[in-house]
Amino acid sequence: MTPLSNRNNQNAKPQVSFKQEPYLMANAVFAGVIFLIILYTAIFSPEKNNYPVACIHEKITGEPCSSCGLSHSLSLILRGRIDEAYSWNENGMAVFIFFVSQLIFRIFFSRIYIRYPGLHKQLIITDIIGSFIIFLLAFMPFIVSILKWI
Amino acid sequence: MEETKSNSGQSLGIAALITAIITFVIAVIPCIGLIAIIPGIIAIVLASVGLSQATRSESPRGVLVAGLIIGIVASLISISQYLVAGKFADKWPNNIEKIVNDVQENVIKELEDANVSIKVENGDEKVEIIIDDNKKDKEQTLEELEEGSSSENDTLIKPE
Repeated sequence: MTPLSNRNNQNAKPQVSFKQEPYLMANAVFAGVIFLIILYTAIFSPEKNNYPVACIHEKITGEPCSSCGLSHSLSLILRGRIDEAYSWNENGMAVFIFFVSQLIFRIFFSRIYIRYPGLHKQLIITDIIGSFIIFLLAFMPFIVSILKWI
Repeated sequence: MEETKSNSGQSLGIAALITAIITFVIAVIPCIGLIAIIPGIIAIVLASVGLSQATRSESPRGVLVAGLIIGIVASLISISQYLVAGKFADKWPNNIEKIVNDVQENVIKELEDANVSIKVENGDEKVEIIIDDNKKDKEQTLEELEEGSSSENDTLIKPE
């Protein structure tokens, strides 16, 4: 016969504290940062051209870099003007997909982490590998341009 | 006797890891890669302090080491962009000299083209000289006026 306390434990949902789970805390912070990036692209308008961040590289060298026009491009994608976004920066769509996918990943992986306590290690490894591959795919043109300069 | 694991330095480890990952993303964007050195240093400092705390209390160090490594790599990427900017620095003096010369020329041209008005009031008498596009003629007139109406009061007395 199963003791009463054990039966209660089986029925109860796993209690997870954010403070005791660094992975969940990190996910929450990253989700917040990505949300702020999306908010930034939504607030600043490509028509008004009121972006506060200017290309430091262009200011120093006088030559445009591979990430110039990225803010414009992200703003235009958010507004559904895909063709115009490509004209500002070809890599804008890849970067946008990276940020959106990461936002979805943070929510999705956090839910699985809470629901399946036995899969924590595998989940974190999958998350790291998956996110790194998507990061490389999205940011490869920038990495290549930096390597070319060096 | 049950052994309790200390979590000393863990909060710093999470902070360092998050800062390091954000720094890494910033560092690979050429437009803003140069400023990634600041959060990069913050991540390294956080991870180092956390590591020293964790070593003393023998608590887990995985997150701290990850934060430190990613922070160092991100900072190196940012520093590499400083080196790239340094390559262009050779061209700077010529560019700066050119910019200064251009600004000087523009200022002089603006002053030459400017409309200048001079008002002189002496009691009830009032003289106004306006210099505009045909200022050459006005300058000549001014010189003629000066020659004609110069008095002892206008002369500069040199101190002995």
